[in-house]
Order: sequence, then structure tokens, then C-alpha cells
Amino acid sequence: MKKYLVYLISLVLLVSCVDTQERDNTPTGNFEALWEIIDEHYCFFDYKQHEYGLDWNEVYNKYKVRVNDKMNEVQLFEVLKDMLAELRDGHVNLYTSYDMGRYWTWHEAYPQNYSDTLERRYLGTDYKISGGMSYRIFDDNIGYIRYESFQQPIGENGLDDALSYMSLCRGLIIDIRNNGGGNLTTAEMLAGRFVQEKTLVSHLQHKTGKGHNDFSPLEARYLEPSSKRRWHKPVCVLTNRSVFSAANDFAVIMHALPNVKLVGDRTGGGSGLPMSSSLPNGWSVRFSACPMYDRNKHHTEFGIDPDINVALTDEATAQGIDLIIEKARELLRN
Amino acid sequence: MRTKALLLALIAYTTLLAQSIDSQKVITRSTMLGFGSTNILDTYLSAEHFKGSGLSFVTTIERQRPDRRWSTLTEHEANLSATKDRAKTQQELEGAYNFYWGKLYSWQLFDNSLKLQAGGLVNASLGFIYNTSNSNNPAQARAHLNIMPTGVATYKFNLWRKQFTARYEVALPLCGIMFSPNYGQSYYEIFSLGNYDHNVVPTTFISAPEWRQMLTLDVRLWKSGTLRVGYLGNMQQAKVNNLRQHVYTHRLLIGFTKQFSIIPCSL
Repeated sequence: MKKYLVYLISLVLLVSCVDTQERDNTPTGNFEALWEIIDEHYCFFDYKQHEYGLDWNEVYNKYKVRVNDKMNEVQLFEVLKDMLAELRDGHVNLYTSYDMGRYWTWHEAYPQNYSDTLERRYLGTDYKISGGMSYRIFDDNIGYIRYESFQQPIGENGLDDALSYMSLCRGLIIDIRNNGGGNLTTAEMLAGRFVQEKTLVSHLQHKTGKGHNDFSPLEARYLEPSSKRRWHKPVCVLTNRSVFSAANDFAVIMHALPNVKLVGDRTGGGSGLPMSSSLPNGWSVRFSACPMYDRNKHHTEFGIDPDINVALTDEATAQGIDLIIEKARELLRN
Repeated sequence: MRTKALLLALIAYTTLLAQSIDSQKVITRSTMLGFGSTNILDTYLSAEHFKGSGLSFVTTIERQRPDRRWSTLTEHEANLSATKDRAKTQQELEGAYNFYWGKLYSWQLFDNSLKLQAGGLVNASLGFIYNTSNSNNPAQARAHLNIMPTGVATYKFNLWRKQFTARYEVALPLCGIMFSPNYGQSYYEIFSLGNYDHNVVPTTFISAPEWRQMLTLDVRLWKSGTLRVGYLGNMQQAKVNNLRQHVYTHRLLIGFTKQFSIIPCSL
């Protein structure tokens, strides 16, 4: 009788513990833990299988043989970094104290189509700064806003002042080239100044379980017009391959608006909202967890094409001419 | 006229006095500080367990009329913990406030030296877990409301010419509701876009097997004060939306207990 009671109590205690099985803190354990975190949380498996044949189980087999418990930390990092690169995702990173595993081919393999020398030439020295935004009016009465990173916030009053300053301009250029993202809410706040009515701009969903296809229904994302000063005239948004994450989202939103044209190169993408986790050895891993789509429910993970594709040339750059800015000016003048 | 007023005042006084004796409440109030270990798992933030230590501040207030079997138990528990993963590189901070309120029915046994109580507590909890390394999912908000069947055993005895009171309280889960993001849902989606997806989840003793136990020993050291030492174990757990979370706190407690009566209208 006593024995049964002990069994019963043990069973109740076992059933009632909410716990997980931790992997060993060995190279093999860390490899297994990382593969499993991605397997259970990453959000683009199906899309990337369709795009370039990604098979996460095959990736396991390919890299498992490269891991053994005698390898050192640096060797393990190289293997894990290479494994994550198979995802071709700029939002997937492995962080250690001495390096960051990354996949940056989405911009490193392409022309930059941006020059900070040219930016200095076009901005001059008497430009204005408000939050993360630098702005001025060109000689042909075109307003120019340079927004380098959405990690730099901007206030509603700052936006009011900038738009008020440029209110007599015939058009506006928003240059987000090299903007690697930041806060979605900052991008939304800026975009809200160019929307005149509640507008469907994108869709998003999230994972609801460990399965590769466990997703919530797509939720429509609307942008409300700002209740503050808004811009009604034409706008050109300048993009290049380094426009990523929240900046890519800004480009997607602006692309959905009637008065806006994207000029430059294709954006870099990065449409998965990232989340983080950690490995037994303390390394952090970041991965895309919630996919975002454009207003037509198309993926934007690998970026979106501009309306007008323009590239910088060495000759023009040597003459101090930014062909992308000049194209935008031409569009806004006509 | 003056005699009439005096008579009325006398009647009022005697009525209030009678009521006050009837409504006399014995209040036992304990205030304790606890220190001990904390173990955190939250798969929304990390697959790893985080272990460390923390502080708790606990007060228990029990109100009972001597002639009645029902008593009211109110408890406040606030805790703050700092924990690390096994590699000692990642850190999670945890804080929570738990409020318990409920009614207990009592039985006196063995010549009043043993008191058994049974009843239920309502537990309202607010808290957070903050992972200092994560970027887009740095924190988890915690909020739940639980109904917990509760039992208390209190035993009074004398030793070395001093009066001791040993008390054991255990509260088990029955049902409740809690807040939780969905498996891979971001807080941006919940709070900025207002997209709801099973974020208020009904729980039972299977999906949220929480239990809490407190063992204390009171030693009456002087006439108006009693020293209390003890142990508090609070095992808060949940398995909802395919996420797993537990916050285990074990605390050694030290504090004081005071017993006093309230006679509201004694003039």
C-alpha cells in the first residue's frame, strides 16, 4: 500500500512539473540546442524551401558530422555560423563575446549605390537635424530628408517642424539608403505623415507552435493617417540593398501609397520580426520569428523592387553626382 | 430635555458596547523577510534555465472572531530575483507581487492545541521576467488570477518554558486565468497592433500546476512580540500556448508575529 502511495505521489509530482530537458553544454549539445531552437521557432522554412530548396533536416545531417566533443569554442562557432548561414537571413545571428555570426550577402554581394561623400556634398553644412533625421531644401525647391537608422527616434514635434519647413517644396525625397532598420513604430510614425486615410499596408502572422507550418491566420495591418501635419505632394523614397528590417517595412508601406515612388536599387529585405534565445554555453541566437508580408500578401523577406531602378556610376560619382538623388529630383520636378 | 438626551446616549453606548463584544476580532499579523534561491524557465525568452537568488517580503494577516469558525486570510508577497544561466553569461531578472485573499473554516482538536483550517484563496499576481541579452523579446509580462484550495495546520506547544506555534499552509491550484503571448507572437503585435491571439488563457491545475507552501515556527520571546522563522516555497508554473514557464522561489523567512484584538466601539 505504501509503495503505491509513493508511486502515486511521484507520478503527481512528475506530471505537475513544467520543465524542459536541457541539452548538455558540450559542442554536440550546443549544436543540437541551436538546431532545435531554429527548427521550432524559425518562420521562413516553407518559403525558403520554395525559393532555394532549404531543407532544415538536410542541414542537420550536413553539419552534424562536422561537430564532435573534442572541438574547441572557435571551431564550434565556425560550424554553427555556417549552419545558420544556410537560412540566408540577415536577422539570424549568433553572438559570442568575440564575434557575431551573420549572413550579410544580401547587401555585401551587390553594389552599394550609396556614397557618404556624395551625401555630404548634397546635405552641405547648413542642413537641419531633428532626432534621427537630417533635412534641407535643394536649390530646385525639392525637400530632402536623410534617415540613416530607425534606431534613432524622432518626435512628432520634430516631424511637424520638418514638414512645415519644407511645406512650400514641390516634392520630397526621403533617403533611407543604408538604413538597416530599428523601431517599427518609428517607421510607422514617419509613414503616417504621408497617408491620407486608413490604408492597408501589410499583413503579418506569428507561429503558434513548434511545427514548421504552425501559424496564426494572417492579420491585416493598417496605417492610420497622422493627426498632425501631413504631406500631400509627391514623394520619392530612395532605397538600396542595405535597406533592411524596419527600413524595408517602411519601403513596403510607402510603396502601397499612391503619391510615392521608390527610386534606386532593390531593398535588402528582412521581413521577419526577430526574437532571441540562448544556448547552453551562453551564446545568444537571434532568428526571424514572425513573418510580415506586403499588402498583397507577398513575402518581402528578400526585399522589394523599386519603381525606378537607378544605380550610381563611378563616372557620375567622381563628378559629385548622385544619380539616384538626381533621378528623384527629376521625377519630382515634372 | 437634558435627561432625555442623556438616556438616549446611554442606550446608544450600551448598544455599541454589546455590539463591540460581539464583533471583537482577533488579528494575527506576521511580517517577514525572506532570502533564498530562484529558478526560472521561460521558453518565450530562452530555452535555458536560469538560477540565482532573491529577496521576498511577505505579510500574512488572519482575522477571526473567537466564537466563529470562519476566518479571513490575507497575504501579500513581493519578490525580486537575479538569476543567471549555467554558463553565467546571460541574466534574467524577475519580480512579482502576489496577493492572496480567502476564507478558511477551522476545526479545533486535541484540547485546542491543534487547529486545522480548510478553504480557498484567490491569488492575483503581477510580475515580469527580464532577459538582459534579448533584443526584440527582452521581457515577459506575468499576470494571473487563480483560485487555490488551501489548508492550514497550526499546532501550539510549550518547550523550555516558552510557547511555540508551528504552522503549515499549503495552497494548490484549481483554476484561473492568465496572460500569455502566443508561441511566437511579439509584444509589438499584441500592444501596438492590438492583435489578440489567446492572450488571456483559462488555466487549470493541469496547465498551471502552481502550488505554494509555507512552514513557520513562532516563538514567543516577550509579552507583545513573537519571533517567526520559516520556509516559503512558491512554485508558479504554466504550460499554455505551447510555451513553458516556471518560477520557483524558495525562501528562508524571518520576521515577527503580532496578535491583537479590535474592539471597534469600545469607549
